[in-house]
Amino acid sequence: MRNLLNFLARYNNLIIFLLLEGIAFYMLTNGNSYQNSRLVNGVRGVTFGIEKKIYNTKSYLSLREINEGLAAENVALKNSIGQLVKKENSVFFSVNDSIHKQQYLHTSGEVIENSINRQKNFFTINRGEDQGIKVDMSVVTSNSVAGVVVGCSKNYSVAMSLLNLDFKLSARIKSNGYYGSLSWDGRDYRYAVLSEIPQHVLVNVGDTIETTGYSAIFPEGVMVGTVRDYEKYGGDFYKISVSLATDFKKLHFVDAIGNLKKTEQLQLEKLFR
Amino acid sequence: MINSVLRFGLIFILLILLQVLLFNNIQFSGYVNPYVYIMFILLLPIEIPSWLLLLLSFATGLIIDFFSGSPGMHTFSTVLAGFARPYVLRLVAPRDGYETGPDPSMMIYGFRWFLSYALLIVLIHHFTLFYIEVFRFADFFRTMLRVLLSTIFSMAFILLIEYYRKGK
Repeated sequence: MRNLLNFLARYNNLIIFLLLEGIAFYMLTNGNSYQNSRLVNGVRGVTFGIEKKIYNTKSYLSLREINEGLAAENVALKNSIGQLVKKENSVFFSVNDSIHKQQYLHTSGEVIENSINRQKNFFTINRGEDQGIKVDMSVVTSNSVAGVVVGCSKNYSVAMSLLNLDFKLSARIKSNGYYGSLSWDGRDYRYAVLSEIPQHVLVNVGDTIETTGYSAIFPEGVMVGTVRDYEKYGGDFYKISVSLATDFKKLHFVDAIGNLKKTEQLQLEKLFR
Repeated sequence: MINSVLRFGLIFILLILLQVLLFNNIQFSGYVNPYVYIMFILLLPIEIPSWLLLLLSFATGLIIDFFSGSPGMHTFSTVLAGFARPYVLRLVAPRDGYETGPDPSMMIYGFRWFLSYALLIVLIHHFTLFYIEVFRFADFFRTMLRVLLSTIFSMAFILLIEYYRKGK
């Protein structure tokens, strides 16, 4: 017993140190991953008032209202396009046809917190569950990819930025349709890497890269960027550097896009796995 | 005693506010991100008990984590820096030892002493922080570059603040 007490007295600092590091490591492994970014979200709620003040001092007061009006108008137009397409196609179908419904629903929002200098970047949008945002919705700027929603509260949601090492996106070359996997390498916020394009494919600098829509998160054909340069990587594939169409340093107005037919697609695909 | 608790409380709040409101918003080209809050660990009195030092490091890291939405990252590296501090102090000790009473400051022990003391702890802190952030060794040298560049900037700000303190 006395030996034990001596031991504890002698190494108490080491024990406290290991204990605290254990707690930190637990938080690190449990709180930082993609699935558990809810914690990030909860924590953000605590510090939210301050972030909002920082944001308010940052934004241009006079331009804001005008832009907001434009964004709302844009969304209304995009939604009505969806409805028009439905009407056009459903001429020969009965009224309560469930197949030719509008597939994508746009909701506009503003980015109120953003970072580009970490390896795993997230940004916060001022729209949440009450405005119809759900986890796994895609986030785009006027016409290019920005991120995916990973957590929602009542009025705010956190999205994983494309500038995140965990972000993977199925993308293709517009001119010939070959698709690969797009991810960020953590280097420069202006460039991402498209891999898994076979070497027999003709690639040109300046080619447009767009989303495929295979993942049921992003709609098909959303602009990602253009080919900056490419090199042979391994035996069979190209490693293509893509300059991103989105400027993440001035990310401000975004649309969250929900896929209304997503569960249907995923359920069907699950049957054959 | 009460006096020094009050003083360090004030330094603590000031440094955290500086970090959250100012330095977290500095984003040079994705490579440089100064973390100046670690200066709180540097300034604590020399004969502070180790357990208290560790707990204070933990609290500092936790609060910074709260504000930057990165659970555990800053906590882990700050606790490590707090643990290393007594060893660093012993390593850079001046020839006639430390005086009892005063805090480790540039005014008392000189510029060169403060530089080596601060540099070692900031390096330990930044090194763990940036490698934990990436969580892989794939881009070892690029992460190292980020560590070094950020250390240089953090040190510049810390020295600046320390000079200002000295002037007062």
